[in-house]
Amino acid sequence: MTSNTIINIQNLSKTFIGKTEPAVNDISLSIRRGEIFGLLGPNGAGKTTTISILCGLFPPSSGKINIDGMDLRGDLDYIKQIVGVVPQDIALYPTLTARENLNFYGHMYGLKGKALRDKIEMWLSNFGLTDAANRRVSTYSGGMKRRVNLIAGVLHSPKILFLDEPTVGVDVQSRTVIIDYLKELNKSGTTIIYTSHHMDEAEHFCTQVAIIDHGKIIIEGTPKHLIEESLGSTNLETVFLKLTNRALRD
Amino acid sequence: MLILLRDRVGLAILFIMPMVLIFVMTLIQDSAFKSLNEKGIPILFVDDDKDSLGIAIGQGLKNSELCSFHDSINGKPASADEVKKAVADGGFLVGIIVPKGATEAIRKNVSSLVQQTLGTDSVLSAGATKKMSDSVEISIFIDPITKKSFLTSVTSSLREFISVIKTKIMFKTFSDQLAEIIPDKKTTTSSVFEKTQIIKYKEVYASKDIGEIVPNAVQHNVPAWTIFAMFFIVLPLAGSMVKEKNEGSIFRLHTMPSSFLLLINGKIVVYVLVCLIQFILMLSVGLYFLPLLGLPTLVLGNSIAGIIIVTLATAFAATGYGVMVGTMATTEQQGAIMGALSILLFSAIGGVWVPTYVMPQTMRHLSAFSPLNWSLNSFYELFLRGGSVHSILPDSMKLVVFFFVTMSIASVVNRIKRKI
Ligand SMILES: Nc1ncnc2c1ncn2[C@@H]1O[C@H](COP(=O)(O)OP(=O)(O)OP(=O)(O)O)[C@@H](O)[C@H]1O
Ligand SMILES: [Mg+2]
Repeated sequence: MTSNTIINIQNLSKTFIGKTEPAVNDISLSIRRGEIFGLLGPNGAGKTTTISILCGLFPPSSGKINIDGMDLRGDLDYIKQIVGVVPQDIALYPTLTARENLNFYGHMYGLKGKALRDKIEMWLSNFGLTDAANRRVSTYSGGMKRRVNLIAGVLHSPKILFLDEPTVGVDVQSRTVIIDYLKELNKSGTTIIYTSHHMDEAEHFCTQVAIIDHGKIIIEGTPKHLIEESLGSTNLETVFLKLTNRALRD
Repeated sequence: MLILLRDRVGLAILFIMPMVLIFVMTLIQDSAFKSLNEKGIPILFVDDDKDSLGIAIGQGLKNSELCSFHDSINGKPASADEVKKAVADGGFLVGIIVPKGATEAIRKNVSSLVQQTLGTDSVLSAGATKKMSDSVEISIFIDPITKKSFLTSVTSSLREFISVIKTKIMFKTFSDQLAEIIPDKKTTTSSVFEKTQIIKYKEVYASKDIGEIVPNAVQHNVPAWTIFAMFFIVLPLAGSMVKEKNEGSIFRLHTMPSSFLLLINGKIVVYVLVCLIQFILMLSVGLYFLPLLGLPTLVLGNSIAGIIIVTLATAFAATGYGVMVGTMATTEQQGAIMGALSILLFSAIGGVWVPTYVMPQTMRHLSAFSPLNWSLNSFYELFLRGGSVHSILPDSMKLVVFFFVTMSIASVVNRIKRKI
């Protein structure tokens, strides 16, 4: 492992209590600093499970994880500080306004005062939420909630940002805005790990992708490389379908 | 926390509900408590003895604040049968008959005892004492609705009267006999006795006042419903915790560097504060608003420190309980039902609805398991018995221990639940 690697996963497995099949099955991955890494796979492939383990939500059944040179088990406090998470499910207090939600989460990251206020205002205006910021989140549209959900994960300028399907249910306009700002964030040094079902989006956004299914990594590489490798494919979506079959997933 | 402030309806319920409860319950119960306190329990007294004992008991009952004294029905002195009938009809709660020759019987007993004592020159033997107590029989008729506590106080004071009279007669017999030997001493002895007797009477009443607390409706309802309200924060607290779990905020919080304990601590502080605000509001209701309705003013006793300690201990106990319910419940309904039912149960056995001293003995044993009862007892101790910090410390400690126990259970349950 070099200092160029920010996340190193070795033989990661997770079997949920009461389940026979592992949700994550012996995954090994290396993610470089400054990468936009796409974790792609059908429903139930184990994407959310992998991300949850990486941000310390629950321990793996087995495997070794090293983030920014620190061991996940031993230095969880440090890792939590440098990691930002945007969960797949909206994690906001519906009875609070967007501003109050962000204020609260900002405080939980140890931010306060003017620095926090400025940060919140900047992101609210970036995402066109300034006018709605004093309305309760429960009155927001799905896309607005997604945007606030995203801001809550980036307020503390994390070194590593985990995004679990940040663009689900978001219209094309918002999606473009979100992707643009994420690219900007990446340029300023944030490593992004991202899951999605939008192959088209992933193809253009990610610098590196891994396709996983049934908890295993099937293939890994740059989107361009994967398309070239797969005979007769012109985009990531056909590659994906070829590799994961067309059967429906849970 | 803000979430609580945002929930205006919930907040209103938290603060206004107990106030309404206090108003309503106090107004309803005021008359009931009054019949106990101000008018007193109606007692019909028949003195067939017409000697020292009968007169002394009659006088004692007349002076007692606990009962309203009657010695006649329709202006005529009642007979034993009439008393029985009057009590059975519900006109009086208690009927007391001192039979003819009661004093005489004591006197006889005593003089034989005195003779025995002087003759053999020894102390009273156990046999003699027993013989004496067998000799006087006072009949008491009771309406079954009479409170047990009141009854015990009546019978115990009757016993006191009898022993006072006994002593008096004994002294008299002794001094009469002594006077024959040393004539000068006669007056001195009886005057000393008169003093003793007065003190003895006073003691009888003093002990009744301390031992038998019959609080008025305000003294009971204000602390009782305040405690109830303080424990009711379990609902919003548990609700917010379950919501956090189900809305996913908890996941985000778990990925954050702030320790989870810190977050729980924040919640505890907020809800303890809510409890304190409730307490102050309820107290001011008792002090300032109830008197406006013509109800008695709340009397706080004289230990402000004690009040603060009990209130804080109660607030923490309630919060700890809320956190425990919040971790155990998986859905909001579950939390609400669990919280509401258990608090109703705790409050019922704890003496919030019906004071424990009116409960049957078995229920009183159960009360000891209700944290609301520990708190209520402490407030009784402070408000009614004029207790000090020292006297409420054991119950307050129980509340604090309860807080730590519930928090530990919560943390264990949380650890088990998070294992996936
Ligand atoms: N808390 C849990 N307890 C038990 N099983 C779980 C739990 N969370 C996920 N699983 C199982 O683990 C497997 C992987 O789920 P995961 O959420 O990681 O998939 P995913 O790739 O994120 O899918 P999606 O695209 O639908 O979000 C699934 O079979 C799921 O049923
Ligand atoms: Mg997922």
